[in-house]
Amino acid sequence: MSSKYKIAAMSSIGALAMMGAALVSAGENGANYPSDDIQFLVAAGAGGGTDNFARTVKPMLEEQLGTSITIINLPSASGALAHQRTANGEPDGHTLDFASSTLVTSLAAGQNPTGLDQLTPVARMQSDVMTLIVNPEKYEDFDDFMTYAKDNPGKVIIGGTHAASPDKMAFLSFRDASGLDINFIPYDEEGSVSANILGGNIDGMFGEISSTLSYIESGKMKPILVFAEERLENFPEIPTTVEHGWDLTDGNERGVFVHAGTPPKVVSQIEQALKAVYDSDDYQTYEEKVNLHYREGWMGSDEYRQKLEKNLELYSRLIENT
Amino acid sequence: MTMLDSFLNGLAVVLQPMNLLILTSAVFIGFIGGALPGISGVILVVILLPVTYGMDPTAAFMLLTAIYGSTVFSGLITAILYRAPGTPEAVMTSFDGYPMTQQGQAGKALGIGVLSSAIGGLVGTIALIVFTPLLASVALRFSSPEYFALAILGLTVVASLGGKLILGLIGAALGLFIATIGIDPLTGTSRYTFGNLNLAEGVGLIPVIVGLFAISEVMKRTLGGDAHQPLTKVKVKIFDSAIMRKIGVTLSRSSILGVVIGILPGIGASTAAMVSYSEAVRWSKHPEAFGKGAPEGIAAPEAANNAAAMGALVPLFALGIPGSGTTAIILGAFIMHGLQPGPTFMVTSSELIYAVFAGLFIVNFMILLFSKPFIALFTRLLNIPYSALGPIIIMCCIVGTYSVRNSMFDVWLMLGFGVLGFLLEKIRFPLVAIILGLVLGPIAESELRRSLAMSQGDLSIFLSRPISATLIYISCLLLVIAIAAPLIRKYKQRSKCRETFS
Repeated sequence: MSSKYKIAAMSSIGALAMMGAALVSAGENGANYPSDDIQFLVAAGAGGGTDNFARTVKPMLEEQLGTSITIINLPSASGALAHQRTANGEPDGHTLDFASSTLVTSLAAGQNPTGLDQLTPVARMQSDVMTLIVNPEKYEDFDDFMTYAKDNPGKVIIGGTHAASPDKMAFLSFRDASGLDINFIPYDEEGSVSANILGGNIDGMFGEISSTLSYIESGKMKPILVFAEERLENFPEIPTTVEHGWDLTDGNERGVFVHAGTPPKVVSQIEQALKAVYDSDDYQTYEEKVNLHYREGWMGSDEYRQKLEKNLELYSRLIENT
Repeated sequence: MTMLDSFLNGLAVVLQPMNLLILTSAVFIGFIGGALPGISGVILVVILLPVTYGMDPTAAFMLLTAIYGSTVFSGLITAILYRAPGTPEAVMTSFDGYPMTQQGQAGKALGIGVLSSAIGGLVGTIALIVFTPLLASVALRFSSPEYFALAILGLTVVASLGGKLILGLIGAALGLFIATIGIDPLTGTSRYTFGNLNLAEGVGLIPVIVGLFAISEVMKRTLGGDAHQPLTKVKVKIFDSAIMRKIGVTLSRSSILGVVIGILPGIGASTAAMVSYSEAVRWSKHPEAFGKGAPEGIAAPEAANNAAAMGALVPLFALGIPGSGTTAIILGAFIMHGLQPGPTFMVTSSELIYAVFAGLFIVNFMILLFSKPFIALFTRLLNIPYSALGPIIIMCCIVGTYSVRNSMFDVWLMLGFGVLGFLLEKIRFPLVAIILGLVLGPIAESELRRSLAMSQGDLSIFLSRPISATLIYISCLLLVIAIAAPLIRKYKQRSKCRETFS
């Protein structure tokens, strides 16, 4: 086939597909959703927090919607491929993108070409609490840390995962707010960061309580600052950012996204189904098991969109300033 | 309760009929997955994870860790028989295993592989049982400078590969270049990605290995008209006293190296296999025999990768830090089962942990016991005409590579590396140097930069820390010896010539 015919053939296929999509979405005011099997695109590798989240929701959502679901992990490029495939797919709500805050952090860092205008956030289901965690042999508490960091500019090293991760953003926003001269070293995985803290090679990290609870309980690590409005019920002794006058409350969040052209009725249908999943005992038991129950995870579509846009603006500014 | 009591209690749990059945099936699943190129322990553990949710935690983790142990072993089967490493850990095994198959010694090669794996695995398991708390504290002494020094030690072996130093350096540089592609882990800058999202994560190890080795070999045999199988009957002999004497030293060195490298978080069994292969070459009296079917070339990586696989469990159990990709998934599984791996895990879940230890101990014997009939199954495939077997190998490679990241791009990449490997083989290019650069290069690069960030640019950090200083001095010394030794030999020969002339 010559290239001219190829282009013609491809464009006519494209036109047909578009017509088909228009017909489907016109006919489908959400009345017969879901009309087919659903696919989860997980913007992370198998076995991590986002993957566990999707795999936990899967059987519960299958029951809610009465359909079957397949899970595909697309970890490449910090999940950017999953967002791209969701945004370029059919706008019929049959492809759900399971993503963490990395979606906005990588967007801010220019590593993810799929903008918030191409995706509709359906719901946020998890909101982990960001904390500053140190080796207690090095720093007793946050005041101790602040004093040392002020007296030794450029000496304090904070470890984290990747150059455009939620913990990097926590570092940037903390440095921005506190005005301290501290450094960040990204590692390939969280395990290396923990090992370097336990071994006393670096000063601390920004991380979630959920993933470091065992070190905290055994006294090998100590959270000294919580990114939250109020002190946590389970950790009343740790001061918050807001107490220090810093408006930093973001942690890693996990939610569900669909194609931006998905009919609003379908979006709200998925949102309702996810809410039912969120409220179920099974899901709440899971959140407690993985220590994600310290604060409310649920956030509906509109509210979540506003939050993401605000975060994107902040992160873009922070990255530009570095 | 003493350690021995705990272990015996664990053994009693494992020997319950139901648990033995689980263990046996885990070993078989691991065998099959490990032998298929592209299907690695990581994928198998992920697939079986949901199955374990309904199980009692002890049985669940015996299943997962047994699969993990047996996949690391069985990668050697296809590496030796078809030069298609079943797992990345087995890639070094193909360098000497496949030439032995070509020389009609597949049975001998497989026997060495099985024995070395089992011994490495046992040494690793015993270290795991006896020294876990101690080894964990060693792992914590390793930070960026030490990792950098370790990678340099591994890379210096390029100078000892014999003869083609220039080609070796080019190969290592090429491997390093391939590893550079993708988003820079430290600054987040894209390097050589040309805006292609598929390249942002970098070029995966599996497409490169499967392409360079398996696909290029199928191409070579097909285009070379080499459609005949060189052998019809493969008799695997595991215990051979002559061979055992020959590889004894290599086995002990590689097992210990494997355990030590395995416990380091972030670098796993593939690196262990590579470093111990390098050391086997370096300490051999006949380094030129490597790559042409040296028994030590199979024993070194196989003992090391199995020992390292067990070693990688040390920081997981003692600190809650995974030592490798698969152990990271097992960590996730612990959390999903409501367990909390961390510094107190050994105390709070000691019954579970010792049952898992005992399970792994038995798995190594199962490998010795079951590998023979399983390999027999695979060797029977050798009797299939290559015109049918070749396409089957290619198909397995495509499916396996696709499944790693669900990426068709990786499949094209893999086929591209197949062609590259085919061309490089024609000019007898040392592929081992490429793999060394590809695996060790990025460790050296990012750890160098992390070390300098730790010291604010002060290079003395490498010499002021005892472990990294020792490793760096050893590398320098070995490099000098490797370069000077041939020159001295040449000089001696020349003076001898002069003597005879005069």
